[in-house]
Amino acid sequence: MDTLLFALPKGRLQDALMDLIGRAGIHVDLPGVSRRLTFPDRDNRFAFVSLKPADVPTYVESGAADVGVVGSDVLRECEPDVYEPLDLRIGLCRLVVAAPLDRPLAEGGQWKIATKYPRTAARFFAENNDHVHIVKLEGSVEIAPQLGLADAIVDLVETGRTLRENGLVVTKEVGHISAKLIVNRTVMKTKREAVQRLLKDLDGVIYANH
Amino acid sequence: MIRSLLALPPGFRDLLFEEADRRRATESLLATEFSTAGYREIRPSTIEFLDTYTLGNQGIGERAFKFLDRDDHLLALRADFTPAVARIVSSRLRNSTGSLRFWYSGDVFRRPDPKRGDYSEVWQVGAELLGANGLSSDAEVINLAMQCLERLGCSDVRIHLNHANVFRGVIAALQLDDSSREKVKSFIDHKDARGLADQLRNIGAAPETVHQLQLLARCIGDASVLDVAEGAMTQSDSQEAIAHLRALGRSLARWGDRIVYDLTEIDEMEYYTGIMFTFFSASAHRELGNGGRYDSLVREFGVDLPAVGFSLAMDAVLGTL
Repeated sequence: MDTLLFALPKGRLQDALMDLIGRAGIHVDLPGVSRRLTFPDRDNRFAFVSLKPADVPTYVESGAADVGVVGSDVLRECEPDVYEPLDLRIGLCRLVVAAPLDRPLAEGGQWKIATKYPRTAARFFAENNDHVHIVKLEGSVEIAPQLGLADAIVDLVETGRTLRENGLVVTKEVGHISAKLIVNRTVMKTKREAVQRLLKDLDGVIYANH
Repeated sequence: MIRSLLALPPGFRDLLFEEADRRRATESLLATEFSTAGYREIRPSTIEFLDTYTLGNQGIGERAFKFLDRDDHLLALRADFTPAVARIVSSRLRNSTGSLRFWYSGDVFRRPDPKRGDYSEVWQVGAELLGANGLSSDAEVINLAMQCLERLGCSDVRIHLNHANVFRGVIAALQLDDSSREKVKSFIDHKDARGLADQLRNIGAAPETVHQLQLLARCIGDASVLDVAEGAMTQSDSQEAIAHLRALGRSLARWGDRIVYDLTEIDEMEYYTGIMFTFFSASAHRELGNGGRYDSLVREFGVDLPAVGFSLAMDAVLGTL
């Protein structure tokens, strides 16, 4: 069977993903600080590569990687032309609009919104007929309102602690986020058996109790 | 912004020497192939009114490079060849009789997502057969495309065959409003079987239709998938489409197990009206080409003429992506 080049996202999803993959019978030892580019699983079904989450769709869409895992927040933002056959039900969180507790967004105003997700945010506000200016940030979005850069933010929230610590409250929900398996459009056809086996293995452990 | 006077805009490239030689040699090989098959060359205009790309369900208009002429008409750089063919047969060739066979070779211009490293100027070679309906014309263009690919050294090509009406018949039976219809199509397009099942449950789809859609999502393989699909489909449109694919497969028998029946794909833009096909190779990351029957597009231009054709993505074919 064909070996699949599997793009893993570094960061927030990594631990839950490695656990899920292990339970699906794919045993892989992360290479630690090694500079090795790719690393195999024990059965050599896959070659793994660890990438920045936002790069995963780019690799998979172009075919440089065959399959990958990435949060639906990243997928919504860059809308790559790939298959999204499986919701992995890990990395669950919400994408929300949050504003300062003491300065709620005035109805009908023109708000300045800081976010790592400018396209998703713009689409969301347009659908609700709200007028906004978007400020694109790369991180620590939650401090933008305090410093006067924006009136509110659009960001991921897991427990809500970071928001509270920065005096922010959720005012609207943009959507639920979870990690998804994505598959290159050509690979789905040319390495069908290997992809179908991966899908079946993962589906089996994710939805075991359904 | 400071930029070099010597730079090219992102998405564009020059072909020098061997690269240009290769293109010329490839075109001349294919010219012989097309001419032998009775296809004549056309070279459509590089610029069209934008309307040419927005008529019907083409979906290419939004990716076109647009600009204004002196009367403020919206113009576009050629974003696709097929609409130009439709325009030509509806205007200069409107009084011709019998079937028309064209081939073309040239660049299409599409605004890419800049961050993905796609080219904006893409070389396509293709052919169209107009004024002929039915099995033999469908088989003729597929055979021609395969001969071209073989001539260019692609020896492991798989033909994925589908028919727009297989899915269309089932989806029509769901009687969805536009928004639910888009959602259902998106889950099918993403191959998300569980997402699809949840969505169908939410809209209260009939169990039989749910079963049919889930079954189609697995219908990819040899002729036995047609038996499976035929057994489950009750809509006459779907049944006829499957029968058509079976007959088409017989007339393409020379390609043997390189034919893959693939009912898992959906024509999201609802552009095709009959067969749809895509060429894949295990050695390429992108599809080599695709095509199908698009009888309603030419009608949008004012002439009722059946049409079937294909185009090859030459960068994928020649490995120059």
